[in-house]
Amino acid sequence: MAEWREYYQNEDDEVEEDEEDSGGYVYTSKIISSDKDLVALVFYGTEQSKNPRNSFKHVYVYHDLDSPGAKHVQDIDKLQGEKGAQLAEKTMGSGETSLGEALWCCSNLYSDIKLRLSHKRLMIFTCRDDPHVGDSAKDRQARTKAADLKETGVVIDLMHLTKPEGFDVSLFFCDIVSPPEDESELGLQTEPCRKLEDLQKRVRAKELKKRAQSRLTFSLGEGVNLAVGVYVLARTATKPPAVRLYRDTNEPVRTKTRYFHAHNGGILLPNDMKRAQVYGKKQIVMEKDEVDEIKKFDDPGLVLMGFKPMERLKLHHHIRPALFIYPEEEQISGSSCMFTTLLLKCSEKNVFALCRYIPRRNTPPRFVALVPQREELDQSQTQATPPGFRVIFLPFADDIRTVDAHVGPTASDEQVDKMKEIVHKLRFKYRSDAFENPMLQQHYRNLEALALDMLAPEPIEDLTMPKVQMMDDRLGPLVQEFKDLVYPPDYNPEGKPAAKRKPAESGGGGAEKKPKVEMSEEELKNHVEKGTLGKLTVPVLKDACRQFGIRTTGTKKQELIDALTILATRLNAN
Amino acid sequence: DVRPGALVLCMDVGFSMSNSEPGQEPSFEQAKKVIQKFVQRQVFAENKDEVGLVLFGTDGTKNGLAEDGQYENITVHRRLMMPDFELLEEIESKLQPGGQQADWLDALVVCMDLLQEETMGKKFERLNIVLLTDLNVQTSADQLDVIIDSLKKARITLQFFLPFPVDGEDRADGGGDGPGPSAAPVRPGKGLSRQQTQGLEMVKNIMTSLEEEDGLEEVYTFSDALQKLSIFKRIDRRPMAWPCHLTIGSSLTIRIVGYKAVTEEKVKKSWAIVEAQSHQRDDVKRETVYCLDDDNETEVQKDDTIQGFRYGSDIVPFSKVDEDQMKYKSDGKCFSVLGFTKQELVRCSPFMGSQVVKVFAARDDEHAAVALSALIRALDSLKMAAIVRYAYDRRSNPQVGAAFPCIKEKYECLLYVQLPFMEDLRQFTFPVLENNKKFKPSESQLSAVDALIDSMMLVEKDEDGESVDVFKVNHIPNPQFQRLFQCLHHRGVNPDDPLPPVEPWLKRDLERPQAVSARCQTPLQDVKTKFPLKVVVKKKEQKTSADVFGNQEHAFTLTSIPCEVSHFNRRSLFQVGSVNPVRDFCTLIRQKTVSFDQACQQLTHRIEQLLGNRSPEYYMKSIACIQAFRDQGAFLTGIFRSSGICSSKVKNRPSAHVELKTSCLQHALLFSDALTLISKDEVDGSTFSKQDANQVLTAFYSLQLTSFKKFV
Repeated sequence: MAEWREYYQNEDDEVEEDEEDSGGYVYTSKIISSDKDLVALVFYGTEQSKNPRNSFKHVYVYHDLDSPGAKHVQDIDKLQGEKGAQLAEKTMGSGETSLGEALWCCSNLYSDIKLRLSHKRLMIFTCRDDPHVGDSAKDRQARTKAADLKETGVVIDLMHLTKPEGFDVSLFFCDIVSPPEDESELGLQTEPCRKLEDLQKRVRAKELKKRAQSRLTFSLGEGVNLAVGVYVLARTATKPPAVRLYRDTNEPVRTKTRYFHAHNGGILLPNDMKRAQVYGKKQIVMEKDEVDEIKKFDDPGLVLMGFKPMERLKLHHHIRPALFIYPEEEQISGSSCMFTTLLLKCSEKNVFALCRYIPRRNTPPRFVALVPQREELDQSQTQATPPGFRVIFLPFADDIRTVDAHVGPTASDEQVDKMKEIVHKLRFKYRSDAFENPMLQQHYRNLEALALDMLAPEPIEDLTMPKVQMMDDRLGPLVQEFKDLVYPPDYNPEGKPAAKRKPAESGGGGAEKKPKVEMSEEELKNHVEKGTLGKLTVPVLKDACRQFGIRTTGTKKQELIDALTILATRLNAN
Repeated sequence: DVRPGALVLCMDVGFSMSNSEPGQEPSFEQAKKVIQKFVQRQVFAENKDEVGLVLFGTDGTKNGLAEDGQYENITVHRRLMMPDFELLEEIESKLQPGGQQADWLDALVVCMDLLQEETMGKKFERLNIVLLTDLNVQTSADQLDVIIDSLKKARITLQFFLPFPVDGEDRADGGGDGPGPSAAPVRPGKGLSRQQTQGLEMVKNIMTSLEEEDGLEEVYTFSDALQKLSIFKRIDRRPMAWPCHLTIGSSLTIRIVGYKAVTEEKVKKSWAIVEAQSHQRDDVKRETVYCLDDDNETEVQKDDTIQGFRYGSDIVPFSKVDEDQMKYKSDGKCFSVLGFTKQELVRCSPFMGSQVVKVFAARDDEHAAVALSALIRALDSLKMAAIVRYAYDRRSNPQVGAAFPCIKEKYECLLYVQLPFMEDLRQFTFPVLENNKKFKPSESQLSAVDALIDSMMLVEKDEDGESVDVFKVNHIPNPQFQRLFQCLHHRGVNPDDPLPPVEPWLKRDLERPQAVSARCQTPLQDVKTKFPLKVVVKKKEQKTSADVFGNQEHAFTLTSIPCEVSHFNRRSLFQVGSVNPVRDFCTLIRQKTVSFDQACQQLTHRIEQLLGNRSPEYYMKSIACIQAFRDQGAFLTGIFRSSGICSSKVKNRPSAHVELKTSCLQHALLFSDALTLISKDEVDGSTFSKQDANQVLTAFYSLQLTSFKKFV
């Protein structure tokens, strides 16, 4: 999925700086969140001038539009702190302020870029709410330039910094910044200063554009079809893929995979190869197209089966993260109205819609529950949950395993009440964005450290670790009281019930690794005939493969067994 | 240590099984299908259970008990063995109706004997006998008690498959979910022969004494079995136990065991690549080479490469060793409580991962059971859940998840589900729907949908007022497996036939229940009239050649471009599309809707795009484009000023051209004569001299030569 997203990422952010710190935050988080974006850094109100044609005074283009790399971050780091301030004074100095000139310069930077940009954003960092101090000509020029920029599709954001007497946006900047576009219907407006706080969080997470995973027809039956977009609102984030580099030059290398004939060395084209599986000692061969065709049941889409009361949806019937659907008016007009009506009625009647779902061509169907989700806003009037249907995947019979329940004695009311006290002491308000993935965070920090030549990576706070000390303090004597109620004095829950493997290990010399036993052809044939290969362990099977000179690509047990079975049948044939 | 099960299929092939009423499939055929389906599933799911096959009513006799005219006409066709393809083929070709009749109780005894003999000294999880018969034979019931007794002693379970339902009245209103056309005639009690009625009584007798009141649930009709194969006694292996400690703080520990209860079952086997003619895996060698991104595509050894990660525009070298050293390390398996929270807060969070784990107290540890029970009951009564850190083992990354209390009649457990990390969430906002004037539904629209929902409820009330789910997804076997097994089976038996169509019962499983379909007709029509839904035709969409020509098949070869002017004139074309650039290009030149220069530029642009994709199909296409350039160039020598575009393109990006040739060697070979560059001799306007052309050609041929050397 990441590949096609990156394809479209040409976002480009421009930072105007009064305060260097913020710029640094933007860089370090941008690098991780969307590394294909272009970022420029422009200072205004400087003594020195530096811009492409040097036509603007007091505007200093520190970094031209470019995808940010380690060097950019290091440059910014140099401007921080007291030393940094001196350096800034030396290189740029401070002088007359003209926001209009700065904006003009920025618009030139944009037009010099030959790439097609998916969106352009300009962030103004300032602590002065009246930059031109009453110079109305300059104000006017700035307004005109801002209007020009907005016309070419640039979104202007204000990242104002706190100011003792408060930052008055209405003085001047309200005319400069872009009104919240698209979401204007929502009537929502995030406070600018909150945006800056968000920025300073230094979020190290890959940012993804809102983009439908697919657009599908949702058929209610009898030709009643609406169009919906399918969105992924949560998916397990993984480490970005590694790039192979040539050791000597550190330049990226490409890989090429080709297939050729083992005997005559000729290259094999797709048509020269087929697919095969072995079952019950028999190889079954199919064309690649046939393998795809087997998976085809119907065209992609959602087909309504019917409705069920919400209580029929089982909490533990979970096999995959849910998706989200929202109407696509651009594909079938009237979809939004139909969709909204369904949403309202399902929610009112407390039912979910059961649908058959085929996401792509040549993909087998799954059944999904469309659970109505109405819009919810949080305290700051921001959308907390979007309106639409959650798409919950339902398990088939094969996905449910038979677990033999352990049946044991149950707790008495006294014991339960004691536990209730413990639970009560350790209450907290769960938020789904409260935990960071320590594995990813460590990875990003390691990269940062290597890229920026830091001595050691910034330490991470592993939020998944229980705060044991704090918990113990809160619980006080409760734990002991509970243990006294449920455990006999000599019971040690940490102890192993029976030391199973210990003796063998401590036995020393004698019971070391079993010596490798070679498998004879006879033994192999025997195993195959009786179907007892499966009883051998993977290492034994691997050894046998190696011994008989079978090339094994897979490590799956079944694949090893198959390889040996084929060999045995060939031996028999000879 | 996973122990398989042992199962004996015992099928009646006696002559009465072949009888049928007109238009009905004989019981024999139905029973054979049941066996086929079952064995098919076992073979392709690579089930380790051992299966035997006993036939009775056969003309011959072959069993260990046959003596002095006893146990005649009973044949042990296959002793206990893992089912394989051979068995499938045997069932297909050798399983034929017999001309005799045999006592099914005798057959049952033979099966028991077989099980006992074959499982001697081996441990099996479960022993099961499946009897398929029409009961239409005289049986001697005098040994019944002894048989029941030894079944109990040997812990052998029984399943019966009959052509008619065991209890006519209960089952008279159909086998539940839409009986198909092949369903057996439902003849409740009537039409049964005296032997059948008597046999049925004995079946009831055996089953109830074996499993008490639940026993009769293990008696099925053939048609039931064909529709839901899952009713075969689930003898699949048990999920792996995951022993761990649940901890709260530093000193409260409970011994627990987790089991995967729900997880997406994937197809177990991957497809191997074999050579098309020999069907040998070893004939295909796969080679991955690493090469620099330069014009020569210099190959480098894998050992000379290291891994790196992108950091903005930079790539930071970060070797695997360093990565392993610096990466996050978890300290082993754990199930540690981080805190407790309201269930409703967790329920609105998305669930992650692909499984649900059931957590029980350690087996046979009553103290742990009491402690865990206290936690489960406390959480349940407070409507709270535990938030835990979960790590499967030392090598796996930790998760944060929720453990919900689950109290059932027979047991209690915690249900663990993974919750998202901050990095997993995508905070998208969507425009308002409900209070949006544009989409506000009218009262009549609301009531139309209201009626539709009522008519399409999949939960119905039965006579007792209990609501019954008529479409249980968790009872439907995954159609993907069924279809795969069907195709594998078919191809295995008939290697040269095309794949069969999807079986009708499988399709029916995926459709809306017929009763619901019928009920919602009127409300659906109402919805249709009240909601105007129109497919938006995008005006701006680029016309591709497919739009212009429709989907008609055109005989279109590289060298002969058809000149059906009348056809082309129907609609004008302005652009070289990507679907069939050659055709578009030729049309443009003929129609003169755009200037020749423009047409050439557009095609060049397409070639550039095509070359950007590294796949043989695209190379083929671009070769076709270049060829078209050439043909048109020669065809229109007089006005062909722009042929240079092609040559310059090739000249400016020699790497692209070389790449094109190397990666597509054999294609290029086919076309090598077509691919000579347009030289001065051919076209006046070309900027390429004959010498240039020759040079490129020589380079090309030497390249071929070296590549060949490498492969031979």
